[in-house]
Amino acid sequence: MGLDEQKPGEEKVPIYNEKLADGNLILTQANKILTVAQARSLWYLLFGTACCAIELMATGASRYDFDRLGMIFRATPRQSDLMIIAGTITYKMAPVVKRLYDQMAEPRYVLAMGGCAIGGGPFYYDSYAVLRGVDKIIPVDVYVPGCPPRPESLLHGCLEVGKKIKQQKMTDWRKR
Amino acid sequence: MTKQELTSYIQEKFSGEIQVIENDQKEPYLIIQPKDLHRFCRFIYDDTRLLLTFLMNMSGVDTKERFEVVYNVCSYRYKLRLYFKILIPYDKAEFDTIRDIWPVADWFEREIWELFGVNVNGHPNLKRFLLPDDWDQGYPMRKDWQGRDVITLPER
Repeated sequence: MGLDEQKPGEEKVPIYNEKLADGNLILTQANKILTVAQARSLWYLLFGTACCAIELMATGASRYDFDRLGMIFRATPRQSDLMIIAGTITYKMAPVVKRLYDQMAEPRYVLAMGGCAIGGGPFYYDSYAVLRGVDKIIPVDVYVPGCPPRPESLLHGCLEVGKKIKQQKMTDWRKR
Repeated sequence: MTKQELTSYIQEKFSGEIQVIENDQKEPYLIIQPKDLHRFCRFIYDDTRLLLTFLMNMSGVDTKERFEVVYNVCSYRYKLRLYFKILIPYDKAEFDTIRDIWPVADWFEREIWELFGVNVNGHPNLKRFLLPDDWDQGYPMRKDWQGRDVITLPER
């Protein structure tokens, strides 16, 4: 009922009452709305060490468009929720990865992208320099295989991170 | 200047000290005596008919008999390219720096020093370059090197 349709002599109803009466009220659990909000605004750390980073950039650009999932890159770990390990991690890089992970605020998630981050990839054999899997230094939530993975795979992996977030309880946060 | 002209021009200046490797590439491939290395590099850099002023790449090789250091240089002025290498025996693993001629050789020589354990005489800044700072496992690009964490590819 708009103001224009108000007839003389009729009692004026406050607008907020009108809205409540229309059913614009949502009843939900605090846990649910927090996790949904968190899963729909996964800001990821802009951190690429090899060719997977090219695919990560392609996924963030307009054709595949990370932004429609609420994913925006952050150049600092202190503002990031998700760390996408895009590329080969060498033994020299490993302390840096560990440090960046430690600087991220809880709750934080890690997605290992591509064969190198999962288990060394093509550098598994006969390499003196490459860490065989980033899960040796930091906990990984979702693995996305491929060399490099297609943007669709990466998007699917990020949705899986979102699913994982939505399954969590607020009490779980303290345990992590 | 063709390949043949370039080879003979350099051989005139360094008679008997330069060995030519026959190949079917467009560029000559020479072997230089390690003691002549600095003099040779200074010559090809300064000579007005060559002006090989750009060191494109410099790499170390372990052939299981000796070390080799391969230099690739080119000339913008005359559109020339030249490849040459020096042979370094295992028991006297050292060669002279050419950092004062091509400053870019600083990093190349540090890399060869670090990964092959070949000493570079006269280099002003030989310190840890590519490997982790706490590396204690020797020289990984040597053929006989065995690493702690290396998983060897199984034979098919």
